[in-house]
Amino acid sequence: MTKKKKAIMETLHAFPFLLPSVIGLFIFCLIPLVISVFLSMTDWNGLEKLTSSGFFAKHFIGLENYIKILSGKEFYQVLLNTCYFIVLYIPLMLAASIGIAMLLNSPRKGIGLYRILYYIPVLTSWVAGALIWRWVLSPQYGIMNNILAMFHITGPNWLQDAKWAMPAIVMASVWKDMGFFGLILLSGLQGISKSYYEAAKVDGAGKWKQFSSITLPLLTPTLFFVLVVALINSFQLFPQVMIMTDGGPNGATQVMVERIYNYGFRYFKMGYAAAFSWLLFIIIFALTSLQLKMQKGWVHYD
Amino acid sequence: MIKNKAKSVLFHIVALAVGMIAMIPFFWMVSTSFKSQGALMTLPIQWIPSAPTLEAYTRVFSMFPFARAIFNSLFIAVSYTLITILASSMAAFVFAKMQIPFANGLFKVYLASMMIPTQITLIPLFVVMNKIGLINTYGSVIFPSLFRAFAVFMLVQTMKTIPNDFLEAARIDGANPFQIYRKIMMPMCAPTIATLCVTTFMDSWNDYLWPLVMLSNKNFMTLPLALNQLNGQYATQYNVLMAGSLLSMLPIIIVYIFAQRYFKSGLMAGGIKG
Amino acid sequence: MKKALAVAMVLVMVLGMVGCGSTDASTTDATVTTDTTNTTDTTATTAETDTTAADTTSVSTDPVTITYCNFNASGANEAVLASMYEKFHEQYPNITVEIETIGYSDYFTQMQTRVAGGTAPDCYELNIENFAAYASNGVLAEISGVDTSGINQTALKAFNVDGVQYGIPGCFSNVVLVYNKDLFDQAGIAYPTNDWTWDDAQTAAEAIRALGDDIYGVYAPITYNEFFKVAAQYGGSLLNADKTEFTVNSPENITAATMMVERVTKSNVQPTTAQMGSMGDWDLFESGKLGMIATGIWSFSTFADACKFNWDIAVEPGGTQKATHFFSNAYVVNVDSKNKEAATTWINWLASSADAANLRIAAGWDLPAITDQTVLNTYLELTPPDNREAVFESLNYLVVPPIIKDYSMMSDIITEKLSLAATGSITAEEALNQAQEELTSTITLK
Repeated sequence: MTKKKKAIMETLHAFPFLLPSVIGLFIFCLIPLVISVFLSMTDWNGLEKLTSSGFFAKHFIGLENYIKILSGKEFYQVLLNTCYFIVLYIPLMLAASIGIAMLLNSPRKGIGLYRILYYIPVLTSWVAGALIWRWVLSPQYGIMNNILAMFHITGPNWLQDAKWAMPAIVMASVWKDMGFFGLILLSGLQGISKSYYEAAKVDGAGKWKQFSSITLPLLTPTLFFVLVVALINSFQLFPQVMIMTDGGPNGATQVMVERIYNYGFRYFKMGYAAAFSWLLFIIIFALTSLQLKMQKGWVHYD
Repeated sequence: MIKNKAKSVLFHIVALAVGMIAMIPFFWMVSTSFKSQGALMTLPIQWIPSAPTLEAYTRVFSMFPFARAIFNSLFIAVSYTLITILASSMAAFVFAKMQIPFANGLFKVYLASMMIPTQITLIPLFVVMNKIGLINTYGSVIFPSLFRAFAVFMLVQTMKTIPNDFLEAARIDGANPFQIYRKIMMPMCAPTIATLCVTTFMDSWNDYLWPLVMLSNKNFMTLPLALNQLNGQYATQYNVLMAGSLLSMLPIIIVYIFAQRYFKSGLMAGGIKG
Repeated sequence: MKKALAVAMVLVMVLGMVGCGSTDASTTDATVTTDTTNTTDTTATTAETDTTAADTTSVSTDPVTITYCNFNASGANEAVLASMYEKFHEQYPNITVEIETIGYSDYFTQMQTRVAGGTAPDCYELNIENFAAYASNGVLAEISGVDTSGINQTALKAFNVDGVQYGIPGCFSNVVLVYNKDLFDQAGIAYPTNDWTWDDAQTAAEAIRALGDDIYGVYAPITYNEFFKVAAQYGGSLLNADKTEFTVNSPENITAATMMVERVTKSNVQPTTAQMGSMGDWDLFESGKLGMIATGIWSFSTFADACKFNWDIAVEPGGTQKATHFFSNAYVVNVDSKNKEAATTWINWLASSADAANLRIAAGWDLPAITDQTVLNTYLELTPPDNREAVFESLNYLVVPPIIKDYSMMSDIITEKLSLAATGSITAEEALNQAQEELTSTITLK
């Protein structure tokens, strides 16, 4: 078969496999996205009917929203807050979830119970989670400061202290997500064939050598996935901020999506919020493209 | 022997300690669900209710058509999960193993779709759904499962690790792509698919804002929507809310337990035999 | 075969989904929720309704179905709302109302989406913050052609924007001073009276604070919602008379804010956020560790259940004059509704009819915003608290929040600055100056 014919056959074969997903892509993703691009160039308040006649003619303001956002202070401040979260969250979360995945990968009796235990935070809603974390971090009665007191450290005011509010959110977020990413990494660990380990044991490799030359390299595809998804998600940090601190104290935990939501649904400046979102998108997209390029350096698919 | 026993004990201590930390909010939820309205938010926290009562649970069952809400949630979540697995695995197969033009670009679009906050696409998507006429139908909350970039991405990562030799061998044996998909790709992705079943089911089951906007008709009310009616303007009945939330977590845990069967260590099922 | 089973299930589901779709978009529009009475529009019936709307008999006898969406009934009162509707339907058998009750927290995201998407109900409920935005952005219908004389006129005025009536007050609440009688007895001081000023309250608070380290004298939230009222108690206001300028840092306002803030930072008769732990203000009062709390009358049923001590209420203390808070939710009509007249009839009935009011009071739900004293008297007969007359006396001093287009932004900025002052990092005066600056630069008034 000629190369060209082979390519055409491949494409024909691929078509039915892609079709359902791509139909969904168009209807439920691309069309609304394109609409939102146009909306970001209007002064729409988020209330007026989108389908009213002459909508764009009436509300089009070009790149005014973008200019306003980029020339103000708020965007950069909020971006900084978000990055502060990411820099603290990602390493902690990775360490916790890898640890949990390794812990749960053993075929012991009762491991199933532990797997459920660790997943429960993922299942609880942020309503319950936020309430309990507010108590944990309570300056006088919470266990966090009580534990610190055992080491003669006076704990800060956590959620009411502008310096410590974001670290508090990081802790709560790691608690909630470690089961989720742990489960994903676990399935990655499970996909590593036992035969590799057996061969290594025959060769006399110790536990650490097994980990560094078998587990880690073969886990990289899943690790890459976790890293990309975790990064995309952390840029979109939202529910815990809304429920635990509402952007406070004094704007210390105002993050990108919190601003987007408030502008869109509280201050009724939806066009502005859309522009904000697209700027956020550009940032995330750039970072993810970078990650994709770099994956050749460390991700092993075989 | 003793070394093994010691390791075992150590394991259980560590695992239990971490587990307890993970579970503290859960204990609070359970404790609160057995409290009566007045005793809810005292400090220091009362872990064991002084006067435990089942009133929260009886209220949950009497407050709204619980059975109907569970049925709706189940129907929606199960359909959603099945469609996600099917549509996403088929697409992932193409991205991971087939060389076609535009595949790279299309995959980047999939990834990019995860980077826009849903708050912004909520209203445009609503308008689109309205134009198609899907508002107030089960379809409005189920059809979006056709496109799940997260699932596609995860499956692509797993499928890429499947050695091409297996596929070559199957092709030589005369298998068509669909058979390769069915007999090689899917079985070898079992742990990933099991994970996706759990996470997708959970996402769909717990989804709140989308069904709220799409399904205003009472008959379609899902469980999270029904539970959120407890949220009043000035006060929320936390004990009833916690009781309902706990009950709501049960199906997901059941799915999780069921999915555990597929978490076998070192899976190479069906691959070698082709 | 497993796969085949899955595929078969998917097919069944798809058929089920398409088949189960009940209403299409147009029916949803028609079944819009009932909003309060006024739907003025260029329909032919408008001309007739001007005189006939006042009757309690239906204006047109064609059967019509409308949708009404609310959040106020969520939590406990859905059954009461249903029984109200039964009564309504007896009097207006041709109007069918489909009632939706949605939890408060996501109600507004949902409502905004529906309004923007064109599927909003015929009538629905809004709180004050959202009312300001919806009314200023042209999505509400003008309410006219119904008799609103039975409604408290101050409350009615709150929902009048630039001379056009856009909403009807559905219920209303105000803020009173709730106090712990046992603590007052312990400190040996007299109970608050309806004439107290904040100076009197401060003296009492200090006496109670002295009872113990973890016992506090008074609590009044330091937020925008409290501030605009306390400012009025000292003769100040947030905007000038014709709402063209902010006057947030006027001397009267500064006096008011300083008084509020120094309760926490200077005399500490009010706990700091750290001292509260993660307890809410109600929790603190219910635990018996708070002498006085300025809170809404919607707290009565909760306190009745949870407080194990004797308590009562008084009109909120004043400054140089009395001013009390006014909270109300508005019933509004969708400007695109095709059944404005029926919708208006429903919400007017819901807000002002004697039947609805009696049901509301009997259920301990909230207070209807009406002037009919005989109906309101049944409210007085319920206890606790004993001094329910204070609720009605407070109505004499109602202050309405300043409704502007960017209401939420204004309230967020002010609350943010005031909370900073409450932590002691800046003074109340600095806080108000900063607020004034930020408000003038970010919000354009007419």
